[in-house]
Amino acid sequence: MNSLKNSFMRFKRSPAFTGFVLFMIAIIMNLIIRGPGNFFGASSLGTLFAKNAPIILVTLAQAVLLITGTLDISIGIQLALVNVVVIMLPQELGMSVPVAWIFGILAALAISAVGGFLVAVLRVPSILATFALTYVIKGINVLIMNVPQGSVPKEYYGAYDTVLFGFLPVAALIIVGVLLMWMFVKRTKFGKHIYAVGANPRNAFAAGINPTKTIMKAFLFKGLITGIAGISLTLMLAAGNPLQVEGYGLRSLAACIIGGLGFGGWGSMSCAVFGAGFLVLIQNAVYYFFNFLQDILTGFQITSYWQNFISDAIVLLGLLMTTVTAKAQKETLKQGLSRQLKRGEKFAKQ
Amino acid sequence: MIALSGISKNFGTVKALCNARLNVQEGEIMALLGSNGSGKSTLIKTLAGLVNPNAGKIEVDGKEVEIKSSVDSHHAGIATAFQDLSLVPTMTVIDNMVLGMEPMGRFGMVDRAKSVRMVNEILDRLGVVCDINAYVQTLPTSTQSMIEVAKAVLQKPKVLLLDEVTASLHHDEIQLLFKLVSELKEQGLTIVFVTHRMGEVFQLSDRITIMRSGETVIEEETSKLTMNDIVYYMTGKKPDTQQGKKSAVEKREKELVIDVQDMSLRKIKNISMQAYKGEIIGIAGLQGQGQPEFIRTVLGLLKPEGGSIVYKGKKINYSSPANGIKDGMGFISGDRNKESIFQHRSIQENIYAGKAAIQNIFKYVKTKEIKGFSQKAIDDYNIVVGDLKDPATSLSGGNQQKLVVSRWIALAPDLLLLDDPTKGVDVHSRFEIQEMLRKSAEKGMTVIISSSENEELMEIADRIYVFYEGKISGVLSKEDMTLERIVAAQMGMTSERSEV
Repeated sequence: MNSLKNSFMRFKRSPAFTGFVLFMIAIIMNLIIRGPGNFFGASSLGTLFAKNAPIILVTLAQAVLLITGTLDISIGIQLALVNVVVIMLPQELGMSVPVAWIFGILAALAISAVGGFLVAVLRVPSILATFALTYVIKGINVLIMNVPQGSVPKEYYGAYDTVLFGFLPVAALIIVGVLLMWMFVKRTKFGKHIYAVGANPRNAFAAGINPTKTIMKAFLFKGLITGIAGISLTLMLAAGNPLQVEGYGLRSLAACIIGGLGFGGWGSMSCAVFGAGFLVLIQNAVYYFFNFLQDILTGFQITSYWQNFISDAIVLLGLLMTTVTAKAQKETLKQGLSRQLKRGEKFAKQ
Repeated sequence: MIALSGISKNFGTVKALCNARLNVQEGEIMALLGSNGSGKSTLIKTLAGLVNPNAGKIEVDGKEVEIKSSVDSHHAGIATAFQDLSLVPTMTVIDNMVLGMEPMGRFGMVDRAKSVRMVNEILDRLGVVCDINAYVQTLPTSTQSMIEVAKAVLQKPKVLLLDEVTASLHHDEIQLLFKLVSELKEQGLTIVFVTHRMGEVFQLSDRITIMRSGETVIEEETSKLTMNDIVYYMTGKKPDTQQGKKSAVEKREKELVIDVQDMSLRKIKNISMQAYKGEIIGIAGLQGQGQPEFIRTVLGLLKPEGGSIVYKGKKINYSSPANGIKDGMGFISGDRNKESIFQHRSIQENIYAGKAAIQNIFKYVKTKEIKGFSQKAIDDYNIVVGDLKDPATSLSGGNQQKLVVSRWIALAPDLLLLDDPTKGVDVHSRFEIQEMLRKSAEKGMTVIISSSENEELMEIADRIYVFYEGKISGVLSKEDMTLERIVAAQMGMTSERSEV
């Protein structure tokens, strides 16, 4: 009982707590609007995961960079790059789809290496470097595919949309796979070093860590996840579009910050999961809420712009809430510190 | 074991090290001493690989080695516990301690069980009680220092460098640390430690190396040196045999400008200070004894936890420095880039900034007015500038500082607070700044100036308060101001003398 209480207290102080609370609020909103039966129904969950796996994966990738003290806002358009590569290679060169996927991941790794080089080696501030990179990638995308086109064989996107054993969406499995990959990486040297480099590069250097190499590796790891996210996006749309989902770059950043990730060495992957979950579930709830309104109010018509407006306003509230709780966390930290210090003084007198 | 010779290091035009040397024998404990800015920390950082010297030779075990990074230093068998802590505050204790030397387990994962064992063992030896899964930033500074030491010991080095690690430790923690250090010495480890506490030097060290302005002055066995010798080598002057008795503050006829009673916050414990109209008060002390906090609290940048401040007859409780400035205070920081200069704005805007701060926010300011105001300040205070519209960074460090000083003096504040204003300023500009302060004081301005340079304080101040560990360890009036007394009080000798 006591240890349970302790671990709850520790969780309450952890950076992921705000994200967790917001996530729960979002779930409760969904339950109220849709009812537990509908919400947890297999088809509903399947659609939810299938539609949102790309943004969730991108948020996980972004989180790795935030922990390392950098970011990548070109991450959204990188998904489109993977998308055009995996569509065009089979269509133009007759390559088999799985091989095209490997090339898609390689493309994401290559472009991430460029971003990593700009940030880690040339020391260009990451926000500028990756903003510029966005336009470079857009150019590449349009060179590969000039207009939206292409298709994916039915067996592939069909498999992506399936729900295994009646409750396990394949899209969710992909996310779990990436999370497992992170669980492993977190326990390696690299996983420890990104926290150190993100929080304080000088101290990391003093401990014998090479910050340049670490940031570079973080970008490559992000590239791998981005590649997987790009493939998920392709399977979800079953088509190619060179200029889409650019907004995922900033959305994923917002999700990370809502989840409680700080800039540089503060926070964990669960922050990203909760943040992305909040974002996705709010959109979902608002969508169904408007449907519900249309059902009961005859003649109620509204454009999807209003839905975006409402859901993004709620996201903004979520962002505000993180600053409030961050303040509260700081307060508890301060109190703890002064308590410890007072105890220290008592020692000194003895 | 370790031999450094001819080490020189320049930071810009400042010579941090000049032909410094250090010889440490195997299995001995060497104390490295020197006053502020004498180059001890730079020398330690050279060995740790954080500073690459311009010239000089490093030998370990009789072989010449190049230490270009902390990895090289580690390979040479050197581990360092830093004064300014190399821990990552947002990581847990255990992750911090094994950072950079994680024990590897299967599949390239870090062997957690082994790390826990290693960390717990060393923490037990040092008597550190803390949750190894706690974030370092939540721990008190003293525990952090102990962890810093533990981390260095964990590297199983041949040579252990301790750079002022005892500064924030409590008495019982220091005893545990010393016990460990003695044990390590018996195991054949070589230890170099830097400290400002003289008691520790005699208790622990076998030999002493003393540095002064970047040079090594003497290497000698501890038993052959006395306290007075050490002060002599550190300052270059024979110490005064009479101890600096706490001279009573004479009550003056003059008007009391600021009266601080029992102020306390963080490091500061019950500091009381009075300053009268037209007086220059000096604050002396080694680095990190609470001087910056004191000055910023008076200004309203920090909130005192206890005590009272009476300024111009009114009890004050400022919520921000803006209140202090409006009430006729001025603040000049030695940390120009962070706290006083607007680097990319023009010289005239920089000078006018102080005036702008006390005016109505919507007041229309004519270009002519800014120009006239700043031109006058430049002429009055002899600042060497190219064009008034050049950015402030076009000036030399000394002229930048004169610019900041003139910004405030031109407003004729009642109380001017200066925190180490001549840091990194050349001799000539320093002299001019002192001149400016003295003239203003004659006109009735009260000046409180903190400085790491004792000579400077002696020249300019009417009274000197010496800070030691957040308390005042001595108040010296003009008559009994000698360098030796200040240095003695800086090391807390007024209160600790009986022990030595």
